[in-house]
Amino acid sequence: MENFEPVIVAFCCHYCAYTAADMAGTQRLPYPANVKIIRIPCSGKIDTLHIVKAFEKGADGVYVAGCLEGDCHFKNGNVKAAKRVAYVQKYLEEIGLESERLEMVNISAGMGHRFAELASTMTEKIRKLGPSPVKAAAAL
Amino acid sequence: MQNSKINQNQNNKVLVVGGGLGGIRTALDLAEAKKDVVLIDNDYTIGGLMTQLDRTFPTNNCDLCTIAPHLSESNREDHIELLTMTTVTNVTGEKGNFSVTLTSKPRYINLERCTACGDCLTHFPECVNFHPGLDHRAPTCMRYPQATPQAYSIDLEKCTDVQALVKICPARAINPDDMPIKRQIQCASIVLSPGASVFDPSHLDYLGYKNLPDVVTSLEYERILSASGPTGGKLICPSTGKQPKRVAWIQCIGSRGLQKEAGAYCSHACCMFALKEAIVTKERFQDDIETTIFYMDMRTFGKDYELYLNRAKNDYGVRFLRSRPHSILQPEGKTDLLLTYTKEDSTKQFEEEFDMVVLSTGFKTSEESRLLAQRVGIELNSDFFPITEEFNPVVTTKPGVYVAGTFEGPKDIPETMVQASAAACMAAADLPDIIDEPKELQEAPVERDVSLEEPKVGVFICDCGENIGGIVNVENLVAHAATLPYVAVAKAEGHGCSRTSMEDICQTIVEEGLNRVVIGGCSPRTHQEKFQDLLQKAGINRYLVDIANIRDQVTWVHSGKPKEAEAKAKELIAMSIASVVRAQPLTDHTLPMNKNVLVVGGGVTGMTASLKLAERGYQVYLAEKNDKLGGIANHLVKTLEGGDVQAYLSSMVEKVKSHKKIQVMTRALIVDHSGMPGMFTTGMQSGPQMFYKQIEHGITILATGAQSNRPDQYLLGKTPAVKTQLETQRYLFEHPDKVKQWENVVMIQCVGSRTPENPNCSRICCQNAIKNSLAILDLNPEARVFILYRDMRTYGFQEEYYQKARERGVIFVRYDLEKPPVVEEAGSQVDVTYYDTILGMDITVTADTLCLSTGMIADHDTNEELSRVFKLPRTEDGYFLEDHVKLRPVDMPVPGFFVAGTAHSPKLIRESVTQANAVAARAQTMLARDQISLGAATAKVDGKLCAACLICVRACPFNVPYINADGYSEIDPAKCHGCGMCVAECPAKAIQLMQFEDDRILAKVEQLFERITA
Repeated sequence: MENFEPVIVAFCCHYCAYTAADMAGTQRLPYPANVKIIRIPCSGKIDTLHIVKAFEKGADGVYVAGCLEGDCHFKNGNVKAAKRVAYVQKYLEEIGLESERLEMVNISAGMGHRFAELASTMTEKIRKLGPSPVKAAAAL
Repeated sequence: MQNSKINQNQNNKVLVVGGGLGGIRTALDLAEAKKDVVLIDNDYTIGGLMTQLDRTFPTNNCDLCTIAPHLSESNREDHIELLTMTTVTNVTGEKGNFSVTLTSKPRYINLERCTACGDCLTHFPECVNFHPGLDHRAPTCMRYPQATPQAYSIDLEKCTDVQALVKICPARAINPDDMPIKRQIQCASIVLSPGASVFDPSHLDYLGYKNLPDVVTSLEYERILSASGPTGGKLICPSTGKQPKRVAWIQCIGSRGLQKEAGAYCSHACCMFALKEAIVTKERFQDDIETTIFYMDMRTFGKDYELYLNRAKNDYGVRFLRSRPHSILQPEGKTDLLLTYTKEDSTKQFEEEFDMVVLSTGFKTSEESRLLAQRVGIELNSDFFPITEEFNPVVTTKPGVYVAGTFEGPKDIPETMVQASAAACMAAADLPDIIDEPKELQEAPVERDVSLEEPKVGVFICDCGENIGGIVNVENLVAHAATLPYVAVAKAEGHGCSRTSMEDICQTIVEEGLNRVVIGGCSPRTHQEKFQDLLQKAGINRYLVDIANIRDQVTWVHSGKPKEAEAKAKELIAMSIASVVRAQPLTDHTLPMNKNVLVVGGGVTGMTASLKLAERGYQVYLAEKNDKLGGIANHLVKTLEGGDVQAYLSSMVEKVKSHKKIQVMTRALIVDHSGMPGMFTTGMQSGPQMFYKQIEHGITILATGAQSNRPDQYLLGKTPAVKTQLETQRYLFEHPDKVKQWENVVMIQCVGSRTPENPNCSRICCQNAIKNSLAILDLNPEARVFILYRDMRTYGFQEEYYQKARERGVIFVRYDLEKPPVVEEAGSQVDVTYYDTILGMDITVTADTLCLSTGMIADHDTNEELSRVFKLPRTEDGYFLEDHVKLRPVDMPVPGFFVAGTAHSPKLIRESVTQANAVAARAQTMLARDQISLGAATAKVDGKLCAACLICVRACPFNVPYINADGYSEIDPAKCHGCGMCVAECPAKAIQLMQFEDDRILAKVEQLFERITA
C-alpha cells in the first residue's frame, strides 16, 4: 500500500478541460503523472461503457471533465455527462466499488491552475482509497 | 477603365494596417473570400489589446482561445501575407491603385527557422522580446502555441554577448546582421485598424496614480486578476502584497471631457469593463472583498448588457455609488486610500477608505495613429478620430481608405468585429473581379487507398529542443514504440513541426509506404491540422494521424519526475498507436454552393446588404413583408449628427429597385424552408395575390428589424399632448409653427425599457431625446426642455451633443425606477410631477408636449415565425441570437445564416448599415467557395443495428437525427455538429462519431491498462 501509484483516467472535453490541461503545461504547473488524459469532443460524448471498461481494465479512478455549466459548446453535453456519471456511480456502489472513484468535474479552458489542482486532489483521494478491488480480483 | 485592366495583377490586394482583433477579422474575411491581403502590425506578434485581457464581458470567457486557432498558418498562408514590426511610411496613388511604402524593423530571428523552442529565452532572457505566458503583458492564453507568428524576436541592444546568443539557438535562426527592410507594395484599398491607446492618468495628481501604488488602471487590475499576470493570479495590493478587502472603481477617467487632456467623448466600453472586473472579483472572493463602483451614468446599452448590470447588482452584490470622488489621498503612515465624495441626494462630504482603487481609463488615439492618418491622408476630427461618412462609419474622407475598431472611435469587441467585417466588405469592393482560382486546382495529390492494407504505422517523436528532450530520453521512447504492434518506423524528429522535419516525415511516409502516423509532440489542439495537411501532401488520408501530447501534458507538467514522465510518455504514445491502427480514411463532407442570396427584410439594413452583394455579382432575392421598402427609416427625418435620412433612403430604394441582380418581393411571407447550408430552398407567398413560390439560395440574411415600442403608459395615445420621440421628430419637421408656441416640453426616458417586463436598454433613446431637444431649441430658443432620465447613455461621440444640450439649458433630472414621474391630463396640456432629489420635493411642470422615449422592442410575431421556419435561436427578449456575442456578432449558429440591423438588437442607422456591410462580407466568405466543406467529425448510423427507438432524436441538442423512410435513424452530416451525444446515448451502439469512434477510445483505455492486467 505504501508504494501504491493509482492509475487514473481523465476523459477531457476538447473545448475546455483538455485545453486547461495544455494550459497547465504552458504555465508549468506540476500535477501527478498518475492522471492519463483521453480527449473527447464533448463531455457529452462520454459513454457509460467507456467508464465501466476503464474500471474493468483496472483503473483506480476515473473522472470526466466538461465545461462549466452553461458554457458547453454543444449546449448541454456537460449536463448529460453529469447525469451519466451519477448513474455509473450508483452502479459502482452496487457492484462493490466506492463511487468516489468516479467523478464529474467542470472546468473552463482558461483554468490551468484548477486543472492541476483537480489532478492532484483526485490522485490523493484515490491513493487514500487504495487500489481498485477489481484489479485485486483480477490478480487472484 | 482601360487602366485598371493593365494593373489588374498588381492591384488586387488590400493592405490591412493593425493586427489586433479588428485587423485580424478584416484580413480573415478578405482571405476567406479569396482576396489577397497584406496584414501589417508594428508589434512583434499580432493580437493587439485583447491579448492583455484575462476575460471578456459578457461571457466572462477567454475569447482569445476561440479566435487564436483561426490564425494558424494553414488558415492564412494562401491569401494573407503577414508582416510584423512593420509600419506605413508613405502612401501615394488613389483608390484602386495605391502604392505604399512599408518599413519593417529587424527581428534578428529568421521566422522560417524559429521553432519557438525558447532556448534563447532561457539563456538570455534580457535579449528576447517575447515571454508568452510568463510576462505580465502576455495574456492567459497567448501562450506561444497560439502566438502568431510563432517566433521570438531579439532586442539586440540589450545583448552583451551576441555570438553566444547566436550559438544557443539549435535551429540557427538568430541573425544579428538582420537589417530594416523597406518595401513597396501596390494595393487597391487600405483598411486602417491600428487600435487606440488608453488614457494615461499620471498627470492628474488628485488621483494619485503616479505616487500611490494601490491606485491602478483598469487594464492593470485585469493583469493582476489574471492567472498569467505578474502575481500569478493572486489578487494583491501592489504596496503590501496582501489581498485587498475593499476595492473601488472610478469611472470616466480620461473620458467625457472631465479631466485635463481627457477626450470629450464617452469611451463606450469602460462601464462594462468595470462591471466585468467587479463581477470576476466577486466570483472569486465573494464576501471577502467589497466592490464599489463610483459612476456618473452606467452605460450598459449593448445587447443584453443591462442584464449584466442587473446581475452585478442583484446576484454579486456589487455596490454602485453615483458620484465622482473628489480625490484619492493616503493619510500619513497608513496604507488605506481615502476617497472623498458627495452623493447626489446630499450636500455632505463623505470619506471612505479603500485598499485598492481602479481607474476606469478611457480610449485615446495614439501619437502613432495620428501620424499614420497623416501619412495615409485621411482627415481627423477634433478628438483625433477619423472623420467618417454620415451613414457609413468605416468610410473615411479619402476614397479607398477604410477604418475599423477603436481607431474609428471608442468601442467594445463585438462592435469592432462588426466594423472590421464591414471594412472588409468595402475594401473588397475596390478590387477588380478575379474569379479564376489557379491555387486550388494544383492542390490535393491523389490519395492512396489504404482501406485494405494492414496498418503500417510510422511513429515520429519530437524532442522540441529541451522541452521534451530535456526531461525524457527521446531515444528510449523511440525504442519502445518500435516494439509495438504494427509499427513499421519509429524515429526521433527533433522539432517535428519545423520545415525540415515535416519534409522528412513526408518523405518517410512515401518511401516506407506508411498508412498510419503517430506524432509524439505537443497538443493536437494546435498542431493536428498541420500534420493532417502533411499526410494529405504525402498522399494518404488526412484523418490517419493521431498525436500523443507528450509535451504540454507530460514533460511540461512532470519535469520534476523524469522517470514517471518517461513512463507516461511511453503510455501515451502506445495509446495513440493502438487508436490510430483503428482509424479509417474519412472524407470531408462537401456540398455544392448555391450562390444566390435571400435577404429577409427590406429596411435600410436589408437593402444595404442586398446592394453590396448584388454589386459583387450575386443574385439577391429581397423579401419585405410590407408593401413598401424602407422599414422604420421611413419615419425618421434626421440623425443626431444632422444626416438627412429621407434623402439617403430614397436614393437607396431607387438603387435597389433598379438593380438587375436584385429581385424585390413585397408583401412577402416566408412559409417554408428546407435544405442545408449552401443549398437552401425557401418557400414564400408574396404580392397582392399572395402567390406561392420557391427560391433556391445558399445564404440567408435576416434583416427583419425591430418595432417602435408603444407601451400603455403616461397617457400615450390618450391625449395628443403625449407623443413618442419618433412622432415628436416628425411633428417638429411638419409643424414648426406650433413648436414655436411651446413653453414647456418634458421628455421621459426608459419608457418601457429597463423595466422588469423588458429589462434591456433600447440604446437609441438617449441620443433621440438629445436630438429632439436640440431641434426644439433651434426652433424655439425660449422653450424649457426637461429630460427625466435614469442614466444618460450618450455613448461615444454622442456625448458631445449631450454636453451641448446641457450648455443650451436643457434641464436634466434623474428619476428612479421605484419613483417614476406621474402624468395627469390638464386640458390640452399635461401635468408632469417628478421628485427632485436635490430639492428633496415633488415638482410639477405643466407641459405643452410630453415626449416618451419608448425605444424599440423585437418584432415578436415576425421573429417567432421566422425562428420556427428557419430553426434559429432567439434571445429572451425576442431578438435573433448570434453565434458568438463577442467574436461572431453577425453569424448565426446555423451556417449560412446571418443577422444584421435591429433584428439583432436596437441600434442606430449608422450601426445598422455597418452590420449590413459586415454581413455582406461574412456572406462573401461563403459565396466565394464553390463547395462547402463540413468536416469529417460527424455521427453516422448503422441502419442494421438501429431499432428506431428515438433516443438519438431526443439526445441531439440540434434536432438533427430523424427516422427515415426505411425505418431507421438518419443523421444528416451537413447538420451534425459532431458532439457525439447521440453516440453515447444509443442503447444499440448503432451510431459512431467519426474521428472519435468507440473502438478508438476503447483501444486507448485498453492499451493504457495492458501492462497492468498482463
